[in-house]
Amino acid sequence: MNRGRLIWAGFTLPGALTLAVLFIAPLTMIVLYSFGTVDFIGRPQFGHSLDNYRQVFESAYVPVLWRTLFYAAITTAICLVLAYPLAYCTTQFAGRFGHVIIGAIILTWLVDYLVRIYAWYAILDDGGLLNGGLARLGIPRFHVLPGTPAVLAGLVYGYLPLTILPLYAALTNLDRTIIEAGKDLYGTPRKTFWHVTLPTTRPGVIGAVILTFFPALGDFATAQFLGGPNQSMIGNLINSQFTDSGSVTFGSALTMVLLLALVVLLGGGFALRRLGSRRTTTRPVPNLESIGASS
Amino acid sequence: MSAVAEERSGGLGLIRRRTRQRRAETFDRPRFLWIFTILMLVFLFVPVLVVILYSFNGQPSLVVMRGFSTQWYHEAITSGTWRGSLEVSIEIALVTMAACAVGGTLLAFGLDRANRHLARASESMLVLRLVSPETATAVASLLLFTQLGLTLSSETIVIAHIAVCLPFVAIVVRSRLALVNPELEDSAMDLGATRLRAIWLVVMPLLWPTLAAASMLCFVLSFDDFITSLFTSGVGTPPLPVRIYSMLRTGVTPVVNAIGVVMMLIAGGALIVALSMMRVGRSRSSLS
Repeated sequence: MNRGRLIWAGFTLPGALTLAVLFIAPLTMIVLYSFGTVDFIGRPQFGHSLDNYRQVFESAYVPVLWRTLFYAAITTAICLVLAYPLAYCTTQFAGRFGHVIIGAIILTWLVDYLVRIYAWYAILDDGGLLNGGLARLGIPRFHVLPGTPAVLAGLVYGYLPLTILPLYAALTNLDRTIIEAGKDLYGTPRKTFWHVTLPTTRPGVIGAVILTFFPALGDFATAQFLGGPNQSMIGNLINSQFTDSGSVTFGSALTMVLLLALVVLLGGGFALRRLGSRRTTTRPVPNLESIGASS
Repeated sequence: MSAVAEERSGGLGLIRRRTRQRRAETFDRPRFLWIFTILMLVFLFVPVLVVILYSFNGQPSLVVMRGFSTQWYHEAITSGTWRGSLEVSIEIALVTMAACAVGGTLLAFGLDRANRHLARASESMLVLRLVSPETATAVASLLLFTQLGLTLSSETIVIAHIAVCLPFVAIVVRSRLALVNPELEDSAMDLGATRLRAIWLVVMPLLWPTLAAASMLCFVLSFDDFITSLFTSGVGTPPLPVRIYSMLRTGVTPVVNAIGVVMMLIAGGALIVALSMMRVGRSRSSLS
């Protein structure tokens, strides 16, 4: 018995060690460098200074941090609102055709990320398809590139398939009978949705938020190509520190801020969820009583 | 007054209930939901169609479409730099796929059966890796490689890609492994097989389709990966996404669209293989 356990531990080791070396060790380096200094020819040195963090929270960079959070949050919200009805319709009413729709959506995601971003140029540029079409209708051209709406459109487009997939998976397993039970209890469609359908698919929604929000938080190519200097996100700052002539120690501090945002938001989300589930007892059993009682 | 009480009180409630039912049915199959879905599909497909359309552009512009030509495909296929990058991308994806298939399967068995503490620690590492923004992990890999004094090249890209893709394979294979009936393995051992032979002859045949699908997914992830490749590439021919990035920063012609279409076809082919493998897996899972 004990020997068997050891063998299984041996199975775990190659993968776990690889990840430890390629994930934990580099993260440790980021932590160390974020407190580091730069020597006289610009080489990063380990140290214990807080200068890099001070620089991050200097006034020039604070708007970038808030903008990053704002963009990621708006992107996630738009993606959820767009993806949920799509996933609902695809799983509930499309029948066998649903597989085709989801396959087609995955196919759009396979087009190279940068080529997809750049396709928006052909659509949104001053001389592009949209403005050309509007001009033919006699509507004056509008200028969106570069700008915040273009960056948001690019981000939403880039991450929408990642929002759709977990919702699709959750809604595929949706038990239709509990929706009918909700209706039998005189739930209006809206109430049935809020109190039955949405709570039962909550794991899918959480998965969708995680898969959309955190990648969007670290994104830089969308803002780089569809935005101007006023649209740059934390990813752009990190990118320029590491690929152009930037400071590795400052870049490490920026990366730490990004990772801390991840830890705080993820931890906060789970804490809230635990609080919520304690209050409403067993989830994901839908709250059928709340429908009939108040109408 | 609650609806139940209302209905008990007489006919008025019954009428209300009927109208409510009718409304419920229209919500059930509402036209707006279909219109919305179709609009969303248009939104998702227009940029892809634009890429395909502009890859046949007669003039070197990504914004104005005039004329028709296949010169960009010709350039994409014959030009040494693009071909070199395509080959490098495929090589990186294949090596990553092979390494992750082996490592991910071993890890999946370990997660399923090892000591609970070890399994839980490994699993939380996997999950953390999955949710970390790729920019952060890519930068971290870059720091590790430069600290170790490694020259950035295709090899470092492969190493970084393995770290990106391994968690996916491990988690997908593990979820299939959890569905395998342990009695199958036990009965094979009752019939005289060793543990390893039982796994190889009984459990692995059930896992093959899932493993193949996960490997194809891994291939696609590595082939399409941009962020990790950007930070970990250095000397030598860069993989396609990195080359596209440098072209977008300098001067861009519709050849990127042609490259995009070629990449979509390769990744799409891998995806179709993965999906059909999964279907085989589903039909086999009735056996276990």
